[in-house]
Amino acid sequence: MAKTNVAPVMKQGKVIPWLYVLPALIIMTIFIVYPMINTINLSFLNKNGTASAATTCVEGEPCWGIFENYRYALTAELDTTNFSTAWNSFWLSSYGNMLKWLVVMVTGTVVLGLVFAVLADRIKHEALAKSVIFMPMAISFVGAGVIWRFMYNYGTSKVQTGLLNAIITSLGGEPVAFLSTIPINTFMLIIVGIWMWTGFCMTILSSAIKSIPNEVIEAARIDGAGEFKVFTSIMVPIIAPTITVVITTMVINVLKLFDIVYVMTGGNFSTNVIATRMYTEMYTNSQDGRGTAIAVILVIAIIPFIVMNIRRFMQQEVMR
Amino acid sequence: MNAGTKGGGKVFTTIAISVILILWLIPTIGLLVTSFRPVSLINTTGWWTVFYVNNGPEINKSEGTYLQQLGNRLTIDNYIDALTGYRGTTTYRKDCNDGSKPLGYKCDISDLLNPRGMGRAFLNSVVVTIPATILPILFAAFAAYAFAWFDFRGRYVLFAILVGLQVVPLQMTLVPVLRMYSALGLNGTFLAVWLFHTGFGLPYAIYLLRNFMGGLPRELFESAYLDGATHWTTFTKLVLPLTMPAVASLGIFQFLWVWNDLLVSLVFLGGTKPVMTYQISNMVTSMGAGWHLLTAAAFLSMIVPMIVFFSLQKYFVRGMMAGAVKG
Amino acid sequence: MKKSKLWSLIAVLLVVILAISACGKTPTATPTVAPTVSEPETVEEPTVSEPEASDEAAAVDEKPADEVAAAEIDCMDVKAGDTISLLYQWSGAEEEKFTAVLAPFVEACGVTITPESSRDQALLDTRVKAGTPPDLAFWQTPQLIQYKDQLIPMTDLGINEANYAENWRALGTVDGKWLGLPAKADIKTLIWYSPKQFKEAGYTVPTTWEELDALVEKMVADGKVPWSMGFESGDATGWTGTDFIQDILLVQQGAEYVNGLIDGSIKYSDAGVKTAYETYGKWATDEKYTIGGAQGTLSTGFNDAILKVFADEPEAMMVKQSGFAMGTILGTYPNLVYGTDFDFFGVPGAKGLQGGSDWMMAFSDKPAVKAFVAYLSSAKGGEEWAKASFDLTPNLAGEKAYVDETLLKKAEILAGATAFTPDIGDSIPGGFGKAEFSGVTDYVNGGDLDKVLETIAAAQAEALKE
Repeated sequence: MAKTNVAPVMKQGKVIPWLYVLPALIIMTIFIVYPMINTINLSFLNKNGTASAATTCVEGEPCWGIFENYRYALTAELDTTNFSTAWNSFWLSSYGNMLKWLVVMVTGTVVLGLVFAVLADRIKHEALAKSVIFMPMAISFVGAGVIWRFMYNYGTSKVQTGLLNAIITSLGGEPVAFLSTIPINTFMLIIVGIWMWTGFCMTILSSAIKSIPNEVIEAARIDGAGEFKVFTSIMVPIIAPTITVVITTMVINVLKLFDIVYVMTGGNFSTNVIATRMYTEMYTNSQDGRGTAIAVILVIAIIPFIVMNIRRFMQQEVMR
Repeated sequence: MNAGTKGGGKVFTTIAISVILILWLIPTIGLLVTSFRPVSLINTTGWWTVFYVNNGPEINKSEGTYLQQLGNRLTIDNYIDALTGYRGTTTYRKDCNDGSKPLGYKCDISDLLNPRGMGRAFLNSVVVTIPATILPILFAAFAAYAFAWFDFRGRYVLFAILVGLQVVPLQMTLVPVLRMYSALGLNGTFLAVWLFHTGFGLPYAIYLLRNFMGGLPRELFESAYLDGATHWTTFTKLVLPLTMPAVASLGIFQFLWVWNDLLVSLVFLGGTKPVMTYQISNMVTSMGAGWHLLTAAAFLSMIVPMIVFFSLQKYFVRGMMAGAVKG
Repeated sequence: MKKSKLWSLIAVLLVVILAISACGKTPTATPTVAPTVSEPETVEEPTVSEPEASDEAAAVDEKPADEVAAAEIDCMDVKAGDTISLLYQWSGAEEEKFTAVLAPFVEACGVTITPESSRDQALLDTRVKAGTPPDLAFWQTPQLIQYKDQLIPMTDLGINEANYAENWRALGTVDGKWLGLPAKADIKTLIWYSPKQFKEAGYTVPTTWEELDALVEKMVADGKVPWSMGFESGDATGWTGTDFIQDILLVQQGAEYVNGLIDGSIKYSDAGVKTAYETYGKWATDEKYTIGGAQGTLSTGFNDAILKVFADEPEAMMVKQSGFAMGTILGTYPNLVYGTDFDFFGVPGAKGLQGGSDWMMAFSDKPAVKAFVAYLSSAKGGEEWAKASFDLTPNLAGEKAYVDETLLKKAEILAGATAFTPDIGDSIPGGFGKAEFSGVTDYVNGGDLDKVLETIAAAQAEALKE
């Protein structure tokens, strides 16, 4: 399938490449591929893996046979009375929330991370400035949950122990219950996510920016390009591959996102995401079949991004 | 907007950076301040009120300069209690000063090594984290090199699977792996945790490194080839040093994930070799009492990742690549 | 060169790590025995002796229950150095108290206990499914049903049956087998208040539900907020609401009714449940009755809700909460005095009590586990538990041994109760508990009550299907 106009520069045998790849492949097979196959198998069985999922169908209700767990995973959160209830319930379901997370958090972290990486590149105390953005990554989720409670806390009288509500009330406003008011609560959680993960994007993007040869940027400046122009037409194109990598990574991280929601709201008040729902089905409800079906859906959701990456992988080879 | 002049650009840069930094710092400062506050005040007043030295409860009023007054409103008891793993109803210092030695404590320096405290857990965390950071990066570097610069059958398919594997939820793999470990007698060993983290770190590590290595200029390899270098020497002498910025950032994050992980070490290592996250989560009772200790413990556990971050900064230096290509 | 320095640093680090980790390992463990033991965390180093005899040999020796109960501590066939692995959800100060309960047993029998503490259901579940469960787990009632095929009946382990009342035995019995030892109990049907505040305002503790209702209205008329409520509790947000509703059910319907909900003979969407929700909703959603109205109830942490009643400037007069509330109060306000600054009374008019309980379940029947079960269920075990003030013990021998004033009062309330019902949400397996929590949360958040109850009833039906 590979068009071999990408001939390798050096001689290589048939075996050598595999010597480089095999150790990693073996480890991944044992720790990820084999358990995943196990997971796929379980997703077609009932709650404790003793019979086919089809046996859990209830008479008189819709049934997808062996895909019954998938039916549950996909439709249980929807209110299908009519189109508008279905639409509304979708946006409060774990899938709807996932879309909100994907759009807002991925954009937020990548843009902020990129802007900060570029800006910090030009100041004296770069390491110090970057470490501030990086710091939230180093705080464990428990710690982050505690501190954001002090930001969002909803005090009910004169005393506000949450900073945001203290500011709002001192300006004469009414306090807001940030974590239980639908639909703003999901966005409040996304802010926590952006706060934690921007440091990740910044670090990776910063190392890409560092690898742009100085001469290239200087040349553009000498040609009279403004700083913004240098950023958009020199830097961004050069680091575009890295931006794709960061976006893909963030998409994957957001799809897997669990701790922030679990620690702060436990998925209540319509803030569930796919991973928290999977956890609830697996462990709180001990519904292994349904939990694993959700996990498989999660893996399927990543396919568009795989395609995107393979395309870029091929392009990169043709170009060089 | 177009920052035309250098001077305007500088002002803009400074302002933008300051705004972002302040926004980012506020929650962390909140955590830091809280970790130095006495437990009775944490729940009843906002953390920022600590700076209004003339307000607040009488017990904390004092004379002196602003800083002295501020200092009097703060306490390091949370840190002491977290370090020693104290679980009583008052504070470690109070109990020791009263002469009522808390159960299992000697009230001297040796309490820092109390099994409930952070000291021993710190050691365990280090033992878990360092190999679990180095191993995946090592294996990934080899594989990434092959994906970037070898031509072999099925590499597109393999790479596609690799990208997909990143999304496999960790919780799904615990049962089969644990079953395997117990058959092999690996349960409860550090090796078990290292291998698991290696397995889960690999897809992303290969993915990231391949992208960096794939971006290296072709001329580099051609000139190396003309000099008679083999793949091995190219890989070790040329590619690895050039990929250092990527390895460094990867190292930081793999380190963080392992350092902050609770579930994996709990499942495979258990409470018999507690890591820091285990001790942190166990400071709070099941009914939520004692979580002021969390704030202090969270800060203690941040120290090492921050050191790692700073020490790897030197690999993010402009022009490393440019110099290498020329030479 | 930079690179070689880095590699040598890595090499040195690896060597150090290997050295450290090698020290921690004991020779070998047989594959089926869970984690290798390095040093026990909480107990004194036992004197090490030769490897234990085979487990099967011990099964023969079984003593009549009464005889064992009379003895102080019966170590049975335990060899010094035998190990028991425990997994429980207690941590912090709770873990400390539990360790104190076990201390006499550890000392007498020389066993090594390897405890682990986690509230993560995933940990226990993973271990059980992978076939490497702990010897003993302390968890909630649904796990008795969930792991009924793996658990060893208490009667096979030599539990001292005489020390447990019939209803406790019934609660721990699944499919005719007694699978769990009730280790710890707490009463939920309590209302905490400040006697000082009550005295100042001229209020008296109500003795019937009507009096409570009247008191609440009087407080409102006086411009005071009667209740402090708080749902927020992470994953389990809403449980304080369902606790309160169960207490109302005990007042309005009685214990039979609650048990009917648990076994499924009464549907959760029944009219009686609806009335209880409405009674509760009237208070929980109105800022005249509770701090901050519905949003206050939803967004306040359950611990913060307790504290608001006992703050320097109290925001409300009463909070309904389990016995653990005292720990919360004293944790934040160590200077408050029980009896004058804070006190509690049973929910007036409740025909029966609601309680939370932790159950010990055994995945192993090795001699050390048998000795452990025998100890905890013995007279000595019950007394030690009571003396450690680790809440109430269902062990009858503990009844007279409490030293803590509040525990004495709680034990009295428990003894005077006509019936004891477990938490409904804790007793129905599967997704019911979560559905109930989310349901009450939705209801207080303005959701349609009939729809909410239908959803919970569906979860109830599904959970009890098999």
